[in-house]
Amino acid sequence: MLTLIRTRGPLGRAGRPRRAAAVALAVAAAVPLAASCAAGTSVLDKDALVVGVKKDQPGLGMLVSGRFEGFDVDVANYVAAKLGKRANFVPVTSGEREKALIDGRVDLIFATYSITPERKTKVGFGGPYYVAHQDTLVRTGQARIDNVRDLRGRKLCQVTGSNSWKRVKEERKVPVALVPSESYSECVKDLRSGKVDAVSTDDLILAGFATPGTAIVNAPFSDEKYGVGIRSGDIDGCEAVNKALTEMYQDGTAKKLLQKWFAKSGLALTFSVPQFEGCG
Amino acid sequence: MTIAGPPAASAPAPAAPPDPAPAPGPVAVPVPGSVVGSPSLRRVTRVRTVPGWIRLLAAVATATVLLVSGAVALSIGHARDGLRAIGHTAGPQVVATADLYFALSDMDAQVAGLLLTGRDAGFQAGRQGMLDRYEQRRAQADRAVLQAADLAGGDATGQTTVRALLDGLGRYERLAARALLLDEQAGHDAGPPPAEVLKEYREATDLMRLQLLPQAYNLTLDSATIVRHSSLAELDSVRTGRLWVGLTGLIALAALVALQVFLSRGFRRTLNLPLLVATAVVGALTLAGIVVLQHEGNALTSAKEDGFNSVLALSRARAIGNTLHGDEIRYLLDPQRADTYEQVYLDKSQAVLYVPGGNLDKYYTALDSAVAAYPGKVTFLGFYGTEASGGSLPGQEAAVARVLRLYQAFQRNDRQIRQTATSGARRDAVGKVMGPAFGDYDEALVKLTGLHRKAFDDAVADGDRALGGWDWLPPAAALLAIVLVLVGVRPRLAEYR
Repeated sequence: MLTLIRTRGPLGRAGRPRRAAAVALAVAAAVPLAASCAAGTSVLDKDALVVGVKKDQPGLGMLVSGRFEGFDVDVANYVAAKLGKRANFVPVTSGEREKALIDGRVDLIFATYSITPERKTKVGFGGPYYVAHQDTLVRTGQARIDNVRDLRGRKLCQVTGSNSWKRVKEERKVPVALVPSESYSECVKDLRSGKVDAVSTDDLILAGFATPGTAIVNAPFSDEKYGVGIRSGDIDGCEAVNKALTEMYQDGTAKKLLQKWFAKSGLALTFSVPQFEGCG
Repeated sequence: MTIAGPPAASAPAPAAPPDPAPAPGPVAVPVPGSVVGSPSLRRVTRVRTVPGWIRLLAAVATATVLLVSGAVALSIGHARDGLRAIGHTAGPQVVATADLYFALSDMDAQVAGLLLTGRDAGFQAGRQGMLDRYEQRRAQADRAVLQAADLAGGDATGQTTVRALLDGLGRYERLAARALLLDEQAGHDAGPPPAEVLKEYREATDLMRLQLLPQAYNLTLDSATIVRHSSLAELDSVRTGRLWVGLTGLIALAALVALQVFLSRGFRRTLNLPLLVATAVVGALTLAGIVVLQHEGNALTSAKEDGFNSVLALSRARAIGNTLHGDEIRYLLDPQRADTYEQVYLDKSQAVLYVPGGNLDKYYTALDSAVAAYPGKVTFLGFYGTEASGGSLPGQEAAVARVLRLYQAFQRNDRQIRQTATSGARRDAVGKVMGPAFGDYDEALVKLTGLHRKAFDDAVADGDRALGGWDWLPPAAALLAIVLVLVGVRPRLAEYR
């Protein structure tokens, strides 16, 4: 018996190493593929992007007869095009932005979304695509207001749920009389009617509301970095967004869009690329 | 092992038990299916089969040995490329571009300092120092722009940014020179300069802060992206390569063992020694290859994570920290814009070390309790939050604690500057802002960065060392193994001639 097996040995097994080799090669070839598939989802892997925008922010993100329009929407379209994707817009409110990203309901957010250290612990940020500044809107023709200090003793509109008035009264410690209001559009009405003397919030928001008879003071006193919300950890996607934003400023699109939406407000706009946060 | 199949049953069983002496000639090795037939036919098959098998197995063994050696050499090449990129070329260049932001920001701070101190006799000692430093930073910025241009390579977006930076830098220098000249002619005491000087300087600093610094910062981020991609790709290749080395190694070993078994059984010999040595050589090459690739993978990861990332993050923190000092000076220099500069100062402080606090007073207080809680608890975010909660280099905690203490001291000094300035004692405030608080803090930060720099250099050097000899080792081992296979097989083949 022993001899039989022996003699058979080299031949009986001869086929096996080849088969084993074939299997091994197949496995080896499959390994890199498997590894790249498991590397998490990126916006770069999608064909179309769900983009969260505001639906009630004139000039930035506004739902007008079924279509979204505004600076945020245009920037989102530009970035999506640079990424080679189609953008599908959905409305998001300020309060639900983090959750929408974390739950995967939206891929990107362009919705006056300020980059803050707290938010950065939950979501990632591309950009900022613009650095807005808190500024002040006043009535044309009223006594000179050059900067936030000149608001001393004036009536300032206080919008429920907004922190902007705090920056004037508490952070800058300017003694102003607060006049409560429901929304910034109410504030602007009150400003024109003389019920308040000034409205203070992000300059791009003010620019969206600015109408004849009002003027922006152009004395910015804070930095609001409008970032592109993206799922935390999608570094490739974030870097691609930043590259697209850099190109948006380099090819003049940013300037064109900023002028399209905000030039008539008289706001002093910045046309050079903002300092990015960095992706990882 | 004792199951005998049908072909074996009909095999022309050679003498069993085997002869104690080696068989004089090759032993009959039947091929399944060839068992039936005339003795002459059987003989032909036998003769054609045995050396044929030897040749086939030897060829397979040789080919797979070449494969292993190739896989090892290729993967080692990737490891070498990865280390070279992060350790010797792109990595250090990225760190140099991070210094660009610092250099630019410090140029603007020196100009602001010169304008603030003016012709005041009390500050003349420091004047030449500030002028020298301005020149030094300008030279540093020029060098860093060159590095950035090199890194941007064929990337059109990067090249455009570099060009814009160069243009802007030239414009800034002209504006700054004009502001300094006007200031010199005005010959004012310490404090805000005349309006025409401020007008020039505003133009200069706006160009710097709103255009050049963001561009420089983004350039560093872009460069870091390039390094991240290349090091990830190389790391991936090294890891995949390790698998390939293991697999091809196993196949080569299997071929060699098969050849060994065939020879020892077929020719009734004990082990074929040259073949055995060849097997050992291939086994050792495979194992050593896997080990060294594992090591290189670790060295690459460690150089990237513990070294490069931290060095880059801290360089950014230092650069942003430098603009803090600039904003302090500008706060005193330009009272009209004091609110803006104060707000920007707060924003940047929170980027460096974040504790909640909507205004500076709240920030100072929150900072005090955050620093007091360290190292027991890390209650802050921002650059220092990341640095304090990650990494465990020897001496890192003590170095972080020192940086935090001096950062706190710098912020306390800032509080006094603002209080003194508000109370009207502007000259005292100028004295404080030009004092040592910022320099001390900055020096501690440089030391902490040095710690990571050392970890980075060590990881790279370690990776380089482990690669020593791996240029010639895989081909030499392969050559040796192949020669040994041939030496082992040749006498057996000769028996058929």
